[in-house]
Amino acid sequence: MMSQRRGIHLDQSELLCKKGCGYYGNTAWQGLCSKCWREEYQREKQQIQEDWALAERLQREEEEAYASRHQRAQSQPTTTFNKFEERKTKEKSSKVNTVTKFFTPSTKTPPKKDSTPLDAQSSPSPSSSATRHSSGDSDHATREFIDFLKPLKSGKEIFKQCRAFTESMVYKRDLGADELSECVQDFYQSLSERLHTQFKGSTDHVESIMDEVEKYMMTRLYKEVFCPETTDDEKKDLAIQKRVRALHWVTIEMLCVPVDEEIPEVSDSVVKAITDVIEMDSKHVPKEKLACITRCSKHIFNAIKVSKKEAASADDFLPTLIYIVLKANPPRLQSNIQYITRFCNPSRLMTGEDGYYFTNLCCAVAFIEKLDGQSLNMSSEEFELYMSGQAPPLWPQVTGASSCSPGSTALSQVHQRLDLLTGLGERQERVMVKARQLESDLIDWTDEVDQKVQSVLENFPPQTQNPAAGTDDGTTSAASSAIDSENVENELLPPPLQPQVFAG
Amino acid sequence: MAAGGMGGKTYSFKVVLLGEGCVGKTSLVLRYCENKFNDKHITTLQASFLTKKLNITGKRVNLAIWDTAGQERFHALGPIYYRDSNGAILVYDVTDEDSFQKVKNWVKELRKMLGNEICLCIVGNKIDLDKDRHVSVEEAESYAESVGAKHYHTSAKLNKGIEELFLDLCKRMMETAQAEERLKGNGASQSASSRRGVQIVDDELQATPAGGCCSSG
Repeated sequence: MMSQRRGIHLDQSELLCKKGCGYYGNTAWQGLCSKCWREEYQREKQQIQEDWALAERLQREEEEAYASRHQRAQSQPTTTFNKFEERKTKEKSSKVNTVTKFFTPSTKTPPKKDSTPLDAQSSPSPSSSATRHSSGDSDHATREFIDFLKPLKSGKEIFKQCRAFTESMVYKRDLGADELSECVQDFYQSLSERLHTQFKGSTDHVESIMDEVEKYMMTRLYKEVFCPETTDDEKKDLAIQKRVRALHWVTIEMLCVPVDEEIPEVSDSVVKAITDVIEMDSKHVPKEKLACITRCSKHIFNAIKVSKKEAASADDFLPTLIYIVLKANPPRLQSNIQYITRFCNPSRLMTGEDGYYFTNLCCAVAFIEKLDGQSLNMSSEEFELYMSGQAPPLWPQVTGASSCSPGSTALSQVHQRLDLLTGLGERQERVMVKARQLESDLIDWTDEVDQKVQSVLENFPPQTQNPAAGTDDGTTSAASSAIDSENVENELLPPPLQPQVFAG
Repeated sequence: MAAGGMGGKTYSFKVVLLGEGCVGKTSLVLRYCENKFNDKHITTLQASFLTKKLNITGKRVNLAIWDTAGQERFHALGPIYYRDSNGAILVYDVTDEDSFQKVKNWVKELRKMLGNEICLCIVGNKIDLDKDRHVSVEEAESYAESVGAKHYHTSAKLNKGIEELFLDLCKRMMETAQAEERLKGNGASQSASSRRGVQIVDDELQATPAGGCCSSG
């Protein structure tokens, strides 16, 4: 065992091949010479391949057996089936791991039995591809963890403890979520205390190790401890989801959110924030989930900053976050919050920046749960109307108030415009009627004028023609002077031309 | 709660800022951390979570300042914010009697929820508007004394009294943390052994931490 360990902990001073063959070794080959390394590597590779092949074969068998039993079990009620599934998973995950052999290039072949459950451990789902994927995930995490720990002096110790603890957690799955959380938190605490004494106050170093520890452990435990059956997390998830859906009518104005979505950059940030908070559910490690919340918050800050042209304060941030949560309706929100609270490294939650944003998210959820009319500056009757879905369809009421959900705002706008159009149509018709009337009036008037002219012509042609023709000089001048009598300037004018009458 | 005393040398403290909207919480903290007031060219994206590293009598202190939403409708969310905080800064506007009443409510709530472990600072902001003062100095100071809090007068606009406020608060939080460590030091053997009960494998390192965790404090 000692010699194997030296194979990993690189010792630069020993330049000769670790196998003691007399040639010089190379750090790239873990201190072996090229020849010994090839031998070792081949053996290891072969062994891994064998293990995988065996694991696959056993899993196939397992699945077949599972399928045949499944058919039998189908007639039974699902609850018993679930129990059976659980028991089976427990049996399988009791003894987990080929990991030792990744860590120490061991020469002795590990008992074959050990290698199988790694692959089959999490296979209650009949789909083999899904199984392969999830075990691949934890496998990957293990390998990364080992790589991270390799250069550390006590890396192997840390790994051994974490693995043992993670495996022990599987036995504790019947405990309540709070007890599980306490176990994990106690483990974090004792491990970090130990690391502190070891690294003598290098806080950053200890924190980076603790991050990796958390990542490794939680990737492997995720399935067991995320939204466990012993809690009512799932029920709460559904409750908050339903609640958010029921609040679809809440607008930016009601929440007093200082964000102007008309600006393209702002609406872009809003969309990104929504995406990030939704993405949280897809991560397995508490730290990564927190990173999603932090990214979401940064986008919110950007949106506020662009809208308000000043740095966002908490007074602006919280309402905007609430608005984002309402718009996003993130999946399994409560489960995620509970999972982070229970299994995240406590120092990060308490004082770190991530912790601040997480706390704000908790506040947003608490606010949404307790939201009432008063917190949206409306009467409780109005609030009830909105909640029961009666308010938005009430047209006249809605068109009066400018604030309602985006959908009904648009609808009310359409309604308003329709009203306007109808009004315009009526007016146009009236105009048309009047125009037609005017037309006919005009026609009538010209007719009338024609008629009058006609009648005048009929009645008076001899009088108009004949007096001019028939009168003598005297009467004509008298008539003309009578017409011009009012004209003051008359006298300045030359005397009017007298018609020369050549009476025949 | 045991945020202080990490590694024996660096203290991490969480401080919440409480107070009605518009009393100048954000200006106060921006002035302290960035030395800026009403600056249109603020480079920071946000002013709701700010940190400050200090060195007080040779001890390193990491201060995390949590701004809270001051609107009345968010009042009920207070406990989520101030959980696990080491200090609270309660800000009121000296020209606004109402904001001082809000501070009184906060004090009552904090004492009820967190007891005496939290260091309270009551801060009358906007003393540059002293001619419009509506909260008398005597009243505020005697109230602060009666609830075991310290009282400060500040002006974020003129940068008055802010350094003193935070420095004093840090010193007090350090004292509290040290007192807590001493208490914990007495009972450490018990708690450590109970914690180890969860532990499974451990061969070589087992011996070291037992002495270490006491001495580290």
